[in-house]
Amino acid sequence: MGQIILGVGDYGASNSPGDVVKTFALGSCVSVIFLDPKSRTVGMAHIALPDSSINKAKAAEKPGYFADTAIPALLTKMSKFGCDKRGKGMIVKLCGGANVMDTNDTFQIGKRNALAIKKILWSYGMGAIAEDLGKNFSRTVSISVAAGQITLSSPGKPNWQL
Amino acid sequence: MTKKISHEELQKIVTSVPMLSASASQLLQLTAKEDHDLIDVINLVRNDANLTARVLKVVNSAAFSLVNKVTSIDRAISYLGERIIVSIAIGDCAGKLFQKELSGYEAAGGDLWKHDLRTAIASREVVFQSGVDLNPALAFTAGLLHDIGKALISDYLQGSVIDAVEIVSAEEELNYLDAEEILVGFDHTQAGYELAKAWQLPEELAEVIRHHHNPANAKEEYRLLVYAVHLGDNIAMMGGFGTGSDSMRYKLDNNYKNYINITPNSLATVMLNVDIEFEKLESSLNNSGDET
Ligand SMILES: [Fe+2]
Ligand SMILES: [Fe+2]
Repeated sequence: MGQIILGVGDYGASNSPGDVVKTFALGSCVSVIFLDPKSRTVGMAHIALPDSSINKAKAAEKPGYFADTAIPALLTKMSKFGCDKRGKGMIVKLCGGANVMDTNDTFQIGKRNALAIKKILWSYGMGAIAEDLGKNFSRTVSISVAAGQITLSSPGKPNWQL
Repeated sequence: MTKKISHEELQKIVTSVPMLSASASQLLQLTAKEDHDLIDVINLVRNDANLTARVLKVVNSAAFSLVNKVTSIDRAISYLGERIIVSIAIGDCAGKLFQKELSGYEAAGGDLWKHDLRTAIASREVVFQSGVDLNPALAFTAGLLHDIGKALISDYLQGSVIDAVEIVSAEEELNYLDAEEILVGFDHTQAGYELAKAWQLPEELAEVIRHHHNPANAKEEYRLLVYAVHLGDNIAMMGGFGTGSDSMRYKLDNNYKNYINITPNSLATVMLNVDIEFEKLESSLNNSGDET
């Protein structure tokens, strides 16, 4: 069984039933999860910021970092596993995007990340069927490729499924 | 079940913590002075053979990938900058405290140091991006030290994480400081402040440790600095580098706007720069530790 650990700005995919795809401590970052039932592939991107226009060089080096570059990059990666290039037939789930308490607009990066991601998904005709976004705690996510099951955890809380 | 810490116990905990080394202590005093030169830092480091060796090791570590080996301490310090010298000095003499596993917060060993380093980098970046009139090296140092109180009370919070999360989730007005106080009688800013006094830290650093979650309570003359670290701390948590159960469970004081002007774009730039700078700094400080 392999563990694919994704850091901030990483994205990855697997169709090996023994694999687990995992990302630790999402704060305001959002994890976008694509499940493709047809090819039994799981993909995830750990997105830090909504918009790559602030640093094009970083976006070229690490497309998973920004919402607008992460989603096309993840779709391209998954197409190598036989998934549709435009995400047709895929199940989308989102989690993370927390905000600190009493945040004002400027500091609501979690919220802005989620919004940017939804807009881009929409342009592909995709939409999330499940989400666990916002609030003020960090989340760790792990997905078993075999079952497509997504487990979330946070210190002080019992684990939950998405 | 947790047990309340008495005032005497807190004093005992504080006195059981090793003192800072003379050079670390003097470096912190120096950083706090507005009109100090790099030459003062150089002279200080030069008088400490161990610190000199460590600084040279860091500057020659793979993270900086310099073509030619740096052998002069002057050049090493000008290249690394004051903030990295402070990180090395603190890490060397108080490393145990910073690297401690915070079991009371369900945070692994090293998590506090990473959170502090991220906060330090973010506080300094906030100064740059907002253009406020503040010594960036001081913002860095203050960020590095801000949460030291967690290392003091963590053992007493052991087994309390579920209760603490319940306390802060039950009432909207409560944040993790309230949970700490309810559970063990002191929050981490009060405990940290006691250590700041024992270590005889400069007043501005002690004020940051005491008020970084409530900057409005800081003395007016240091309030800008405290707000900068307040933002740096929140940015560190948002970036996924908290210390376990308390991450993001604090209030952001929106009055920071009266002191620091930061746009959504400059905040995004700060967050990105923190990721880049952290990677470099962390690997250079870590991989230079063992004697070769
Ligand atoms: Fe704190
Ligand atoms: Fe903190």
